[in-house]
Amino acid sequence: MLFSQAFGLPVITADDATSVGKVADLTVDAHDATVAAVRLSGAADRAELAWSAVEAVGPDAVIVRSRVTAEQGQDRVPAHHRALGSRVLTEHGVEHGTVRDIAFDPVSGRILTLYTALGEIAGARLMGLGSYAMVVRADPA
Amino acid sequence: MNTLVLASELSGRVVVTLGGEAVAQIKDVVFDGPAGRITGFTLSGRGLLAGPLKQSLRFSDVHAVGPSAVMIVSQALLEDRDAVVGRGEADRGRVLGAPVLTEEGTDIGTVADVVIETGTSGRVVGFEVAANDNLDRRHRKVFVPRGQSLAVSGEALVVPAQAQRFIADDLPSFAAQVEAFLTHTRQR
Repeated sequence: MLFSQAFGLPVITADDATSVGKVADLTVDAHDATVAAVRLSGAADRAELAWSAVEAVGPDAVIVRSRVTAEQGQDRVPAHHRALGSRVLTEHGVEHGTVRDIAFDPVSGRILTLYTALGEIAGARLMGLGSYAMVVRADPA
Repeated sequence: MNTLVLASELSGRVVVTLGGEAVAQIKDVVFDGPAGRITGFTLSGRGLLAGPLKQSLRFSDVHAVGPSAVMIVSQALLEDRDAVVGRGEADRGRVLGAPVLTEEGTDIGTVADVVIETGTSGRVVGFEVAANDNLDRRHRKVFVPRGQSLAVSGEALVVPAQAQRFIADDLPSFAAQVEAFLTHTRQR
């Protein structure tokens, strides 16, 4: 699944089937190359759900277990930096376009592929994401 | 082979951590003349109105010097300004503008810039020399490879006589000349 496809999906609780908001963005944990959290828009009380609270990401909705679990595990979420549109630098200081989209595994949350203006980068090469740039490991070739 | 850059071009280049945060930009390059390497960088803050920083960056703490950014592992590596500048200062003199002499005692011009290998070595591979009549009648700026031992002081820079045969007009062709010169000196 692509980040761009997830944006705007309604986030629904499994236990009482109510909406807690829509997906505004996904927070990337660059260290593990995973999605760490779902950021919500239109949420009444909180703006971020830890990935551990997510039951499923489907084509039409994101399901979270319950309002209670949605509030847990938020301490370990890294600071949010917008991934899409971010400048890409290799660890050798070479610029590699900007992030156009990101493919992720909707079950595990693992980042699979980074699509940049200059081609694809395997998600495993992700090293860091800050306010200035996304940093990736240099091409082994 | 790593690509080459002029030391002057590094000024203003952004310093980025592997975590993707821009923490400073390069102000000046500090040389260790006798060792033929960069000691480190002085830094300034980012943005139009930012002044010089009290911190500096030791070259050994640089992850890589790239065409778009100087990469470091973390901001914690930035050190007190004196740690980098203090040591190199005495030897540094003023490299730029110093007369260039060959080992045979011919004055061939003055140092216009220093050529550094990018990547992780920080090695000085040669100099841009503003040539005088003895090297080039048209007084162009040419690139001259350094010798194995690098003799530089505030007064003069001494290059091997043979280095004159391996000069180049631009940086891309200079990379090949440096290789050729190294091969040449190894054979002797």
